[in-house]
Amino acid sequence: MSTSSLIRYSVMVQKELLELVRSFKLLWVPLVFVLLGVMQPVTMFYMPLLLEKAGNMPEGSVIDIPLPTGTEVLAQTLQQFGTLGILVLVLTAMSTVSGERNSGAASLILVKPVSPFAYIGSKWTSMLLLAWGALSAGYLAAWYYTELLIGEVPAKQVIGSLLIYGLWLSFVLTMTLLFSTLLKSPAAAAFSVLGASVTLSLISGIFPKQMGWSPGALSGYAYQFVVGESFASGRFWLAAISGLFLIILALTASAALLRRSPAAE
Amino acid sequence: MTALLQVKGLTKAFNSVKAVNGLDFAIEEGHCVALLGPNGAGKTTTIRMITGLLKPTAGQMRFHAAANIGDERAIIGYLPQSPAFYNWMTGLEYVVYAGRLCGLTSQMAGNRAMELLERVGLTGAAKRRIGTYSGGMKQRLGLAQALVHQPKLLVMDEPVSALDPVGRREVLELLRELKRETTVLFSTHVLHDAEDLCDDVIIIRNGQIALQGAISSIRSDHRRPIIELQLERDDRSEKWLAGYAERIRCSLSHSSEAGLIHEIQLGDGHARFTVKEVDEARQLLLEELAQARVKVRKLEAGYSSLEDLFMKVVAQ
Repeated sequence: MSTSSLIRYSVMVQKELLELVRSFKLLWVPLVFVLLGVMQPVTMFYMPLLLEKAGNMPEGSVIDIPLPTGTEVLAQTLQQFGTLGILVLVLTAMSTVSGERNSGAASLILVKPVSPFAYIGSKWTSMLLLAWGALSAGYLAAWYYTELLIGEVPAKQVIGSLLIYGLWLSFVLTMTLLFSTLLKSPAAAAFSVLGASVTLSLISGIFPKQMGWSPGALSGYAYQFVVGESFASGRFWLAAISGLFLIILALTASAALLRRSPAAE
Repeated sequence: MTALLQVKGLTKAFNSVKAVNGLDFAIEEGHCVALLGPNGAGKTTTIRMITGLLKPTAGQMRFHAAANIGDERAIIGYLPQSPAFYNWMTGLEYVVYAGRLCGLTSQMAGNRAMELLERVGLTGAAKRRIGTYSGGMKQRLGLAQALVHQPKLLVMDEPVSALDPVGRREVLELLRELKRETTVLFSTHVLHDAEDLCDDVIIIRNGQIALQGAISSIRSDHRRPIIELQLERDDRSEKWLAGYAERIRCSLSHSSEAGLIHEIQLGDGHARFTVKEVDEARQLLLEELAQARVKVRKLEAGYSSLEDLFMKVVAQ
């Protein structure tokens, strides 16, 4: 890559970030994650109280719910991110390429001397910045409230699981980018990605031995890592490497698709 | 004169339908060329292939000036039929962005953007969001972003078709200035715009070239003397005209050798004769008219316009 194409790439990344700011996505997506992250330890802490006040329990019944450990709460937070969090991220990213191609804005950019790879890469970079930012904010908020209300969690386990989980989110978002380039309809892209990621996680969960190498197993490894469970590290590294490999493959495929037909009309 | 762009056998097939079928043409440096044709003739497809947005099925395009640049997109400025921008950007931001993507430094892009926005009359709206722009303003912004890197070839797809008369005149005025500075290729289905602005026309029909050349030479090659006749709408005159037309059609179909009048077109109370020679035909016609005591409203001798030629070529 020559310096001039690097400059163009960074100009395009700046544009994408500006778009995230102007569309308030940079504000409300992290906010959703922070909310999700805070809610988990708080509801866990107040659960017995809530049940006592709201439930129609007979007089004198003893409510005895064991308070989960801090690490368990963080694992549950990651599961929240895995459903609502991924939904929000995929919905914000689903029309990132198809929207510009359908409107014709992409053709006006791609007639300029920019490479399709820089175009895809800039979108990918901004999407990942958003995802990692939101994830970190939400997870750190969850950590803070967990330590405050429930119990201590070692930093090493938090940061390790954050990195593993971030890789899973990056994988899902890269697939969103690919499907957004492949399909004209944003809804179809979102549906495909969500369906595929759910299926992948499920299969990896059901057959940990056979599918432990797939990126779908990454979210499971993140839960295991934060609770301090030992897991087969050989299979984990395979999953991480296959995830990275598929990310690169999807980016290359998106750029190739875009090169073949820059405009969707 | 060197050709800036040489196109040979350009073809694009969508499935089995050939939208563009074997176009050969050259665009001379400094000329203004119109790609003229009815809707669906393949103008947009051709333009999109030249800009690189669409891969040709067959054929080749050679940009002479691009030989030492490598990327021919660097010498093309493109304005699509209805340009789409990022509505959350301001006009100024967009032109700066376009400039930076073409390799200008941010300072150069900023200066150039202000200069161009002033030129297209958008200085007042430069800091407004593009989402609030009208159709004409968007077209002018599109022109500014296409010119930001001083392209050697400005390619436009129907630059004025979607505009109201005022916006249309503004854009045409701009084009009149621009064609002095750079080579321009634009598509249109309005002959008048092409005639007004261009040196050369390429008329295409069903994806093939029907006629091409310099407007002046096409005009002189294809112009025919015509006589136009308009009559009062009384019975006597109308009857005469119908009879006379019948007589001419008879003689046209009978004798293989063409007489004074080659062709006759009848309208409501008027007729249009394509003739071999104006003086003789006029004399003949006047005598006929006097004899039959027809009430003439108007008799005009002249030459066929480019419009007639266009209609004839396109309708074939």
